Amino acid sequence: MMDAGRHPRIEILTLSEVVDVQGYVGNFQVRVRRKPRYVIEDLCTGCGACVEACVWKDRVPSEFEAGMGMRNAAYIPFPQAVPLKAVIDPHSCLWLVKGKCGKKCERACERGAIDFEMQETFLDLKVGVVILATGFDLTDDPSLARYGYGVYDNVIDGLQFERLSSAGGPTGGRILTKDGRVPKAIAFLHCIGSRDDEASEYCSRICCMYATKQAHLAREKTGGEVYQFYIDMRTAGKGYEEFYKRIQKEGVYFIRGKVADVVPDDGRLLVRAEDTLLGRLVEVPVDMVVLATAARPAKGSKELAQLFNVSLDKDGFFMEAHPKLRPVSTHTDGIFLAGCCQSPKDIPDTVAQASAAATRALVLLNQGQVEIEPTTARVIEARCSGCGECTLVCAYSAIEVVEGKARVNEALCKGCGTCAAACLAKAIVAQHFTDEELVAEITGIFERERVLA
Amino acid sequence: MVDRLTLLRGAVQQALETNELDGVLALRADHNGTVPHLFRTGDDLSGLALWPKYPLTRTLDLLLSAQPGARLGIVARGCDERSLIEMAKRNQVDLERVTLIGLACTAEEAAACRCARPYPTKIAVGERVEGVEDTITSEHARLSLAERAGFWQRQFAKCFKCYGCRNVCPQCFCEECALEEDLWVERGVLAPPFPMFHLIRAMHTVGKCVGCRECELACPADIPLTILYSLLRRDVEEMFGYVPGASLEDRPPLVVSGVPEGWA
Amino acid sequence: MREDFEPRIIGFLCNWCSYAGADAAGTSRLSYPSNIRVVRVMCSGRVSPELVLRAFREGADGVLVLGCHIGDCHYTDGNHRTAKRIPILRKLLSYVGIEPERLRLEWVSSSEAQRFAQVVSEFTETVRQLGPLEKGGEV
Repeated sequence: MMDAGRHPRIEILTLSEVVDVQGYVGNFQVRVRRKPRYVIEDLCTGCGACVEACVWKDRVPSEFEAGMGMRNAAYIPFPQAVPLKAVIDPHSCLWLVKGKCGKKCERACERGAIDFEMQETFLDLKVGVVILATGFDLTDDPSLARYGYGVYDNVIDGLQFERLSSAGGPTGGRILTKDGRVPKAIAFLHCIGSRDDEASEYCSRICCMYATKQAHLAREKTGGEVYQFYIDMRTAGKGYEEFYKRIQKEGVYFIRGKVADVVPDDGRLLVRAEDTLLGRLVEVPVDMVVLATAARPAKGSKELAQLFNVSLDKDGFFMEAHPKLRPVSTHTDGIFLAGCCQSPKDIPDTVAQASAAATRALVLLNQGQVEIEPTTARVIEARCSGCGECTLVCAYSAIEVVEGKARVNEALCKGCGTCAAACLAKAIVAQHFTDEELVAEITGIFERERVLA
Repeated sequence: MVDRLTLLRGAVQQALETNELDGVLALRADHNGTVPHLFRTGDDLSGLALWPKYPLTRTLDLLLSAQPGARLGIVARGCDERSLIEMAKRNQVDLERVTLIGLACTAEEAAACRCARPYPTKIAVGERVEGVEDTITSEHARLSLAERAGFWQRQFAKCFKCYGCRNVCPQCFCEECALEEDLWVERGVLAPPFPMFHLIRAMHTVGKCVGCRECELACPADIPLTILYSLLRRDVEEMFGYVPGASLEDRPPLVVSGVPEGWA
Repeated sequence: MREDFEPRIIGFLCNWCSYAGADAAGTSRLSYPSNIRVVRVMCSGRVSPELVLRAFREGADGVLVLGCHIGDCHYTDGNHRTAKRIPILRKLLSYVGIEPERLRLEWVSSSEAQRFAQVVSEFTETVRQLGPLEKGGEV
């Protein structure tokens, strides 16, 4: 990320979201809303003086700490943030919310970078291609309550465990329960919300490996008992199977059986499952439960798909043009996909896919020309009465009525032919799928039968 | 009690004098018969007629196209107003240039047309009467499939492709008509085994037909075409909540995005 | 109805979903009656009432229109228009005495090989029971 931040031809826009997209491949007009940082980026050096001075200390659950730690209203998201600048949260800052604060942050800043008057701005970008790389979210489905998530202390998900185990995290890298003790036993539950007819049918792909890695860290850091409750161990990458074997040898218990539920038991948590290899029900008392929860499409994917006119697959991830042959393209020309927004995958695969998407994008940009579908619609003006019903039919807004006649923008037209079917006068022709051609197929079919009969 | 025709003459006179119109389109009777006529300010209105019912909206469309900038009035029954709304929705008339002189139909006229709404939104002349039930159509709907097949076989056998129904329909404004294409309606064949002309025409009325009955009135073979169009109109209202001519804002259901609740 | 009546069925299949689904049925070696003759279109929205009627006129005893599921149309919502046109056309057929069951609209996705085979089998049987269009829907 630092490299990207420093690159002269890469501009990173944070605190931003796309609000409108017009145009087509090679000529997109993208409108970006830039939310106010309340800190002037050109002046801020990331020294953290404002963060220190902020009176609303440690009151806001930190997004970066996955809720495991707190932050101030004025904060730097994390020490490696790009750009490394402070930001003021308008939902918790006393001045911005109530107008009541001594604004110590403003006084503490030696460069005068704090600006409470900042407004949101809009940026209009002209781009030729788009790559969507919006990642994933871990599920926060209410049904997680059966495993104690959001109900009991010390039931956390994989990202939250990462923060516990990180030296820069809220516990300085120590695995501790909420009341500060070292857990004597930790259970990792696989397939929570994945491979589940009632939740997500698909396998989230990354969990077996990260849960195993986390088990290793847990064992190393706590010396306690570590249990892995799994259905299958999916360790298909390079070195992955060897890693799994190694962790088994380290004394982590692998129990084949999806956990049914987690219940409180005398101050601890009781994990209940069937050990399918032994054919026995087991109940394991632990102090901490880590859920390997399903990877879901990032929040806002649905709206983003509509903005960019890309399709979503049945699970809500962005749909690739072809699962084997075109895994980084979408059906919308000029828009590509990279990473988990297309489907859950680990880092090596994400990097590979991102390189592929970048290449595809570059090919388009270098060519300077775009190949369009030949099956576009064409108006026969002599037949057209300008009624405009075709304009209502087109999902790509590719038709307009100009001076009383319909006109098709061939670069926008995707060749579906719905306009040709809707036109009562048959004034729009779906090239290569014309009425004459389709009728010829029909008469040809029956002619052949008459001949053969 | 002043009769309707006298009132109508008065209304047309007033419209010509007060609205700065280039003319009012109505019917005029003389010893030759009754024809559409564009009355100008200062004209003698004694020949103005209101019978037989006639689709003046077609003529209005032609006049407005031929004279850009002209502002015209038109004597409009309920069906005329509905036609104009559907035509305006499809960019065929500019309602800003049109002044409607609303004429309510009598009970006899409503019954003759089996009309559901025999009055325009604003009535200038005539008393509003309520719509009548179209029993011919509802009785037809109760026939069995086989009875309907036999009925329509006999009816369509009478058709000799005069195109009268198409010609007179206010919604048939296509520059070139699909029904004249050999691809859809085979040329030189009368009483074809499969009634392409009538089935295509019926599908084309969907979302457009306002029930003016002009097609049926025009048909020299007395084919009860509007039975089919009325049944489809009822289906469109039931399935999509769309009533042709009810509102300028409604979009025709078959072309807009979206499917009814529960259809997915 | 003659014992040896083989219904003639025209299927309009959209390229992205149902045609691919039919292809999947083929690669999966699924059996279905061979009465169906497929006409590929890019989107089920391309299927106009005129085309359906022409198919009947040419000799089809049944017409099957297959498209993507609502929400999955490759062209976003072309199938919305199909979804509305076909039921109206079925009503019209019934009003002139042609069995509306001769025209059927179904959504089949590119992965639904089994469903494709099932829909085609069911529809072929339905039309077989209805008999040839000349006799059954004599118009």
